[in-house]
Amino acid sequence: MQDSAHILQDQVQQAITEQQPLSIQGGNSKAFYGFAVQGDVLSTSAHRGVIEYEPTELVLRARAGTPLSEIEALLKQHQQMLACEPPYFSPTATLGGAVAAGLSGPSRPYRAGIQDTVLGCTVLNGQAQILRFGGKVMKNVAGYDVSRLMAGSMGCLGIILDVTLKVIPSTKAEKSIVFTIEPDRSLAFINDLRKRGLPLSASCQLSDQLMVRFSAGIKEIAGLENRLTEHYSFIEWFKADDHSFWKNLREHKLPFFDQARTLWRLSLPADVDVYGLVDNPENVLTEWGGCLHWLKTTKPATDIFKHAADNNGQATLFRYLQTETPDNIFQPLAPPLAQWHKNLKAALDPLSILNPGKMYVQD
Amino acid sequence: MADPIIREALLSALKKILDAPFILSTQEQLKPFECDGLSVYKALPMVAVLPGSVTEVQEVIRLCHQLKVPLVTRGAGTGLSAGAKPDPEGLLLVMTRLSNILDINSATQTARLQPGVRNLAISEAVKQHGLFYAPDPSSQIACSIGGNIAENAGGVHCLKYGLTVHNVLQVSGFTMTGDPITIGNGGLDNAGLNLLPLIIGSEGMLMVVTEITVKLLPLPSQVEVILAAFDSIEKAGQAVSNIIAQGVIPGGLEMMDNNAIRAAEDYAHAGYPRDAAAILLIEIDGSPVNVSEQLQSTRKVLQDSGVSSVRIAKTDAEKALFWKGRKSAFPAVGRLSPDYYCMDGTIPRKSLAEVLGYIHALSEEYGFPVANVFHAGDGNLHPLILFDANQTGQLENVEAMGAKILEKCIEVGGTITGEHGVGLEKIRQMPLQFNDDEISQFHDIKAALDPDNLLNPGKNIPLLKHCQEYRALAKNLQPNQLLIQHESTT
Repeated sequence: MQDSAHILQDQVQQAITEQQPLSIQGGNSKAFYGFAVQGDVLSTSAHRGVIEYEPTELVLRARAGTPLSEIEALLKQHQQMLACEPPYFSPTATLGGAVAAGLSGPSRPYRAGIQDTVLGCTVLNGQAQILRFGGKVMKNVAGYDVSRLMAGSMGCLGIILDVTLKVIPSTKAEKSIVFTIEPDRSLAFINDLRKRGLPLSASCQLSDQLMVRFSAGIKEIAGLENRLTEHYSFIEWFKADDHSFWKNLREHKLPFFDQARTLWRLSLPADVDVYGLVDNPENVLTEWGGCLHWLKTTKPATDIFKHAADNNGQATLFRYLQTETPDNIFQPLAPPLAQWHKNLKAALDPLSILNPGKMYVQD
Repeated sequence: MADPIIREALLSALKKILDAPFILSTQEQLKPFECDGLSVYKALPMVAVLPGSVTEVQEVIRLCHQLKVPLVTRGAGTGLSAGAKPDPEGLLLVMTRLSNILDINSATQTARLQPGVRNLAISEAVKQHGLFYAPDPSSQIACSIGGNIAENAGGVHCLKYGLTVHNVLQVSGFTMTGDPITIGNGGLDNAGLNLLPLIIGSEGMLMVVTEITVKLLPLPSQVEVILAAFDSIEKAGQAVSNIIAQGVIPGGLEMMDNNAIRAAEDYAHAGYPRDAAAILLIEIDGSPVNVSEQLQSTRKVLQDSGVSSVRIAKTDAEKALFWKGRKSAFPAVGRLSPDYYCMDGTIPRKSLAEVLGYIHALSEEYGFPVANVFHAGDGNLHPLILFDANQTGQLENVEAMGAKILEKCIEVGGTITGEHGVGLEKIRQMPLQFNDDEISQFHDIKAALDPDNLLNPGKNIPLLKHCQEYRALAKNLQPNQLLIQHESTT
């Protein structure tokens, strides 16, 4: 248990005095994500420890530098878990980094996104003030919801000092199944599964293979095979270790995620086709029931951002070769929204000390 | 008082935007819009308009911006914190005519809505696709989705399915300069900053919303409703914690105390045990196997928690009847006294018994009966304090008692408002939950998005000088000391 909030506060104060930007790090597990920041490193990794955990309340509060692995191990002891399966990308991943990156894992559409589970957080803003927003109860509408605004803000609005999260009871049983189905029929099929009340908790489409995970009580999972074979004839139970498949998907350790290549992440309405953006359909991996696509493509960034914008979604250049300098990593914003981003940055970090340029060149 | 020159300029420009019947400016026309669901706060706006198109909304906003006229957006007017109380020097933008369901997409399980669509109308319209919209505030028959966005509305089913903020993908509308802006998109993640939670629950103070995309969920294949009676509030409160602790998240988990039980039973004849100290209504939903597993484990937890009796509704009619009692509890309690004041604090579940005991003691001290009917699974209390506003001093005493309840909520780690919003009603208690730096940060955020402070000014975030006054007073809080001036047109 280490509370070093005031050391971090002094560091921000000094940065203000010297007008020196800070590059914020947790476990440095997602340094590849977003633009590189030129600035002195401010590390939250020493500010760690679980502050409060009450299993009966389904609430956990921990300091930003607490390793995710420690939190998940603690929850597991009490038959609980994080709803959103946040990716680590390195064993050093921290809670603060996970919330700041705003990334959620395979269960996102069926349980929650990381931003949905944030109940409150303490923030060190760009004026070196320590501020607390939200709280530790499920419902809280006092003031503006700054705590959920922090999720996915990539350290550009404030340094997250601690986070209070809603946690959920652990899944009692899981089973994964492979369906052979073309991508263009996959959405209707997934909707059919859901309407039958089947307990989906993840999906992954690669070429004509659709992997689906079901999570529920022991009896329900035991009876799953009978229920499925009543309706569908083209199924195959997972032969590999189910759990490691979903973990490897979350961590980008499946063979699909060849890390030597550029990787795009497209978050779109479930009925949008992305196959026009790749040369080979094998270069698309789709999660979240059709709402999240990973693409390996050499198409120009402008084409990809345009496809996302035209279809009411967004694209992110998730990984890129370090030899390249992209113009944009995150989806370009319409002018009024871009202006709001600038204004909010100025409201929380008026001197632009915190991770300047991490998300958008102009911030 | 409104400036007559600005009023004339506004009216004359409005006539070029809207047809005459949709511009309200006389006292008789404006009277129905003087308050929302919290009628102790009221004022006539300078003018009210009912636009019939998004273009009209945009032109009205541009006009207000040009003339620097404050703008208060109003939905169905069911809010319970005076968030939609008109500004006497401002324009009231009434969104009820924008009530079209624009699109239902059963493939993506989403619906695009205008802000005036009633909450219940969404679930009714998508039922044919086997879908529903989860947030269901008690006012769902009348309240609108635009108002739900403004307040981040909750409801019975939020325990399992989340609040409005968890069930909305996208909102479009206008900044106070009249520029179109869209927050969120048709996917599950925002582009850029996560602004949806900032807008949802912002009480109409950051933008005007003219279109909303909501997420829909498949209707559960089976639903069971349990009515559990207890001979003490403490046992019922403990049972709530025990149910959640064993790993079951019910679709709904509601609690009523004896005053609420008797009022609801007299009104709805739901079959509630009139002599119980408290009842829990527990809804378990999902697949048949899952429901049966959870019913079994919940029954065991109830027995271990000292339940007096357990009934499981046998028919759909009985399920509906169990819920009818709960859903009509507010009007039922309303029959017991001329007025009631509905509180909205939220606390950790483990503190339910302690806080309910404290409220009971306050009820005796102040001499106002209290009925408790609330979202126990979320720890979201709704004490209804019964009083008579026509008796001099009663309203002020009730508000002083209410302030003590909110202070207690903060003391045990909770919040002053779970789902009704701050509005004007709880603005004085904001400094209990936030310090001056935090309040200042809220003001900076407001100024970042509405620099002229024209959108719903004076709500939600108190002025710092009022915070300091409140804290000074609260140190020695006595009944009658925390009075406020209720603005009135009379």
